[in-house]
Amino acid sequence: MALLETNRIFVHFGGLAAVKGLSLSIEPGERVALIGPNGAGKTTFFNVLTGQIRPSSGSVHFKGMDITNHSVYARTHMGMARSFQITSLFPNLSVMVNVLIALQGIRRGRYDLRRYFLKDKELVAIAQELLESVALWDLRDEKVSSLAYGQQRKLEIALPLASSPDLLLLDEPSCGLTPAESSDITSRIRDLGPKITVLMIAHDMDLVFGVAERVILLHYGEIACEGTCEEIRANQMVKEIYMGSRKSVTGTW
Amino acid sequence: MEDDRVLEVNTPAGPGGKATAARAARSLSLTAIPVVGIGLLILVLPLFVPTFISSLVTKMMIYGLFGLSLNLLWGYGGIPSFGHAAFFGTGGYAAGIMILKAGISNFWLNLVLALLFTAVIAAILGIPAFRVFGVGAGATNPIYFLLATIAFGELLSRMAVALRPLTGGSTGISGIPEPDLGFGFRTTASTYYYLVFVIVAVSVYLMYRIVNSHYGYALRGIHDNERRMQALGYNTWLYKYTSWILAGVFGGLAGVLFAYFGGTMVPNNLAMITSDIAFWLVIIGSTTVFFGPLLAAVLFVGIEYFASIYLPARWPLIFGAVMVATIMLMPNGVGVEVLKLWKRVTRGAA
Ligand SMILES: Nc1ncnc2c1ncn2[C@@H]1O[C@H](COP(=O)(O)OP(=O)(O)O)[C@@H](O)[C@H]1O
Ligand SMILES: [Mg+2]
Repeated sequence: MALLETNRIFVHFGGLAAVKGLSLSIEPGERVALIGPNGAGKTTFFNVLTGQIRPSSGSVHFKGMDITNHSVYARTHMGMARSFQITSLFPNLSVMVNVLIALQGIRRGRYDLRRYFLKDKELVAIAQELLESVALWDLRDEKVSSLAYGQQRKLEIALPLASSPDLLLLDEPSCGLTPAESSDITSRIRDLGPKITVLMIAHDMDLVFGVAERVILLHYGEIACEGTCEEIRANQMVKEIYMGSRKSVTGTW
Repeated sequence: MEDDRVLEVNTPAGPGGKATAARAARSLSLTAIPVVGIGLLILVLPLFVPTFISSLVTKMMIYGLFGLSLNLLWGYGGIPSFGHAAFFGTGGYAAGIMILKAGISNFWLNLVLALLFTAVIAAILGIPAFRVFGVGAGATNPIYFLLATIAFGELLSRMAVALRPLTGGSTGISGIPEPDLGFGFRTTASTYYYLVFVIVAVSVYLMYRIVNSHYGYALRGIHDNERRMQALGYNTWLYKYTSWILAGVFGGLAGVLFAYFGGTMVPNNLAMITSDIAFWLVIIGSTTVFFGPLLAAVLFVGIEYFASIYLPARWPLIFGAVMVATIMLMPNGVGVEVLKLWKRVTRGAA
């Protein structure tokens, strides 16, 4: 059974159709990259998957259940998690608290009024592990707004991992990073356990080809083509769409 | 913004015992000393000062509780309200009416019933407030929410005027007797001071625990980035709604204490003019420091007292002028400045 399945998703913003009848299916354990020029509707499609916006029509199934009308938080409890293209953290809280809050999101006791949150030893121990894995442990007491952009970006990707999701949705994880930082992210995503299914939006072709088994090209809200990395690399249409609209694609073709 | 959040977010259980011990000692001097010191001061104060001063301190404690209750919602949850008096007045009226009309004389029973009633009113008002108008992620425009909070207070104060047989109409209720604590013990003006002290101290402690709990940190997260909270699995609507009720109950508690304190309750205790006080306490005290509104309450009652003696007609002007001056000189509130100062003092001593 597919882990995630969408059926003819349409999203209209006024007169603009941002997503036009998108159907796709992702098997457990797959690593899929969603590529396409700016404005292709990739982020909008993610927002439909995670519930930030409701599609104008079409349905989303996750683990065999129709979740089209589920709330954002309910989907997270079902095992979805996402990162955002535009960094979306808790800027006035410390790195540690950011991670603790992320860990607490799907755990029991998040309505607990009696215990001191910062003294939750179990949570702090997991947070330490997570922060060490992304090399942010030394910065744990820093306020997030004072971090460098690259560090914030790492935290952005660490937060969805806190819920140990079955489906991880990454929206341009390496957006705005230096090549070195970007390859660090690439290896981190590649090192995720085989149980985590990854659907990732990316422009950075090193990231795409370094992580994905299957690549889907979105163009004006529709799937323009789809295939393995080799097929995509060789595909003439991909080159045209990318070269025609966006010159700054990095990576080798 | 320099604030006690930064202080509170220090990792509690890091490795390295020495650093932890030093930190613990520091947090002891930072919090335990002032808390115990101020507590003791309040306890012994009535022995040394005339009764009108202890009466002012009683009022400071009540207003401090009122300000803190709004800050729970606003400073932590990020939900501003211009109508917090709706709860203050509801608590006060409920207590007064139950004593005078329903003959429930026992203070504790009266307190519990008044708070339950306030919780119900908050739960009812919270549904249109958060479901229809909305505030935070997904809200069309937070102005509608703010206008709704004003409207709630005005609506309830009009009801208090209209329901004359129950509420005494525009003159309100008066003649609320001294609290009967049971076992034939009735407080006097000077023992009421201690009753208020105990209730406010317990409430402050409870609120402190709430804002530092798992629930409290979820509120802070919602304040900072509600959309991310939803993506992380938090039902943010439920947090906002329940924090509104919690803040309402603590605000109602301040109202109950106020009703017994003055013996009266008037429609204005539900309206904008009283909501302004809570608003002032939070703005002046600081939304980012837990105890800020308590400090602001000391300032408020002090200034109010001197204004009533020397410039009785100018009170609203002074009230506004202090607000403007504070916003200009200490935009983060008095609480932030005092905390900074205290940190410097303790660092110097250590
Ligand atoms: N909330 C919105 N309201 C109106 N138009 C939107 C909204 N979000 C996205 N769009 C439009 O939808 C199209 C797809 O955007 P997006 O999904 O962000 O593209 P991508 O992530 O592929 O760059 C763009 O033309 C964008 O301007
Ligand atoms: Mg995008």
